[in-house]
Amino acid sequence: MKMKLFLAAFLVASALSLGLMANASSAKDAPKDSPAPTVSAEQSAQNENMRVEGEKRFRSNCGRCHAAPTKFPPRMMATIVRHMRVRATITDQDMRLILRYMTE
Amino acid sequence: MMCSLANWPRKVAQAGLLGLFILISLAVHAQDDEFRVDSFKPVPILTGSTAYFTRVTAGQYQDAPTVSPLLLLPMGDKWLLEAKGSYSDTFSKNAQGDYNGAISYGMAYGQIDYIANRYMTFVAGRFTTPFNIYGERLAPNWIRALQPNPLTSPVTSGSGLGGMIRGGFSGTDSLNVTYAAYFSANNTHHLLATDRSTGGRLGFFLPRQRLEVGASFQQVLQADRPHSSGVFLEWQPNRAPLTVRSEYVRSSGTKGSAYWIESVYRLSQIPSLRRLELVGRGEQFFAASNLSAATVKKLGALGKDTNEGDFGMNYYLRSDVRASASYGRQFVLGRNANLWTIGMTYRFIMPMLPQGGAR
Repeated sequence: MKMKLFLAAFLVASALSLGLMANASSAKDAPKDSPAPTVSAEQSAQNENMRVEGEKRFRSNCGRCHAAPTKFPPRMMATIVRHMRVRATITDQDMRLILRYMTE
Repeated sequence: MMCSLANWPRKVAQAGLLGLFILISLAVHAQDDEFRVDSFKPVPILTGSTAYFTRVTAGQYQDAPTVSPLLLLPMGDKWLLEAKGSYSDTFSKNAQGDYNGAISYGMAYGQIDYIANRYMTFVAGRFTTPFNIYGERLAPNWIRALQPNPLTSPVTSGSGLGGMIRGGFSGTDSLNVTYAAYFSANNTHHLLATDRSTGGRLGFFLPRQRLEVGASFQQVLQADRPHSSGVFLEWQPNRAPLTVRSEYVRSSGTKGSAYWIESVYRLSQIPSLRRLELVGRGEQFFAASNLSAATVKKLGALGKDTNEGDFGMNYYLRSDVRASASYGRQFVLGRNANLWTIGMTYRFIMPMLPQGGAR
C-alpha cells in the first residue's frame, strides 16, 4: 500500500513537473539562440555575454562530475554534448550554450 | 465503499499516468518544430577509458587492467545510439604465490535515445537505472574520485532492460528540474541480467548555488518485490574548489540501507599542486534486521553492518590522464580490512570518420 502511494505521488509529481515544463516559455531561450542583426559593438557584447554564460553553464554542469576536458573539434563536441544531454539530463538551453562555448 | 477507498492509490496512479501521457503528447506536438539541429553535424565517436589498478584488500593483491569502450553513433538530428562495454582481466596471487587471471566482460549499456523535444528524451534498450547519481554519472573509473565502489551500490538494481523517459528543463532562471522514469523487464542472461522493475528520479539543480538535490525510487516486480528509495545531494560552493556529494538508499528487502558522503578538494590555489585533488569519503551500511544465519551467509557483504572510511588523491597529468591512490579502512564485525589502491586511468576519444573533426 505504501509503495502504491509512493508510486502515485511520483506520477502526480511528474505530471506537475511536465505541466510546469509546458508553461515554461521558450521565448526567453530564443533570443540567445538566434543572433539578432545589430551593430557590431552590440553583437560583440552579446557574444561576450554568451561566452561567459556558456562557460558558467559548462562549469556548473560538466564540472559537477568530472574535470574539465580540453576542447574537441566542433562535430565531435556536437556528439559529446548530445550524449551528455541524455546521460546527465542537461537542459536544452544549457546544452546549446555549452556547445557554443566549447566550439568557439 | 471500503473497496473504493482501498483502490484509491491505484486510481490516483492511473489518473497521474494518463495526465502524464496527455502532457507528453501535447509537449511532443507543441515543441516538435522548435528543436533544430545546431550548426555542427555530429559524427560517430569511439570513446571510453582504460585503467590499470593494483588493489590490496585485506592483504590480498590484485592487478586489474580494464578497458571500457563507448560507441556513440548519432543518427540525424534526434537519435543517438550508445553502447558501452567493459573488459577486465584480474590477476591475483594464489596459495603457491603464482598469479592467476580471471577475465570478466559485459555490456554496461546499449541504448537508443530519441530526443523528442527540448524537454524529453525517450530511451530504449539496456540502460543504467536512474537511481540517485553514482551509477549513471560517477561510476566510470576516469570520473570516480575514489576507485572502491561505495557501499550503496549493491543495494539497488543497477541495470534495466526496457524503456525510459527522461529530461530536464529550467523551471525558472535559478532552478533546473530533471526527471527520469523507467520500466525494465526481467532478463536472465548471465551477462545482461536485469530485474523486472520500475522506478525513477526527480532532481532539482540550483545553478547559482551550484547545488543539486533529488530523490529516487525503485520497485522490483519479481521475487520478494523489494522497493528502494533514496536521496542525493551534490554541492560545489562558488568560493572554493570543493565538491561535496552524498547518497542515501534504503531497501525494504534483505539488502538493508546505506549512505556515503564524499568531499573532493582541488588544490588549484597552489600553483605547483593545482593538478592534485584530495578526496575523503565516509560511509556506513546497515544490514537488514531479522536476517537468518543462512540469509546472512547467502548475502555475503550485504549481510553485516559495515563502516568504511577512504582517503585518496588524484593527480591529473593531463585532462585525460590521471594517477590515483587511496587508502581505506573497512570495519566489519570480525573482519576488519585495509583497502589500498594505486593506478592510472586514461580517457580516450576519437572520431569514427576520417573527416570527423572537420566542420
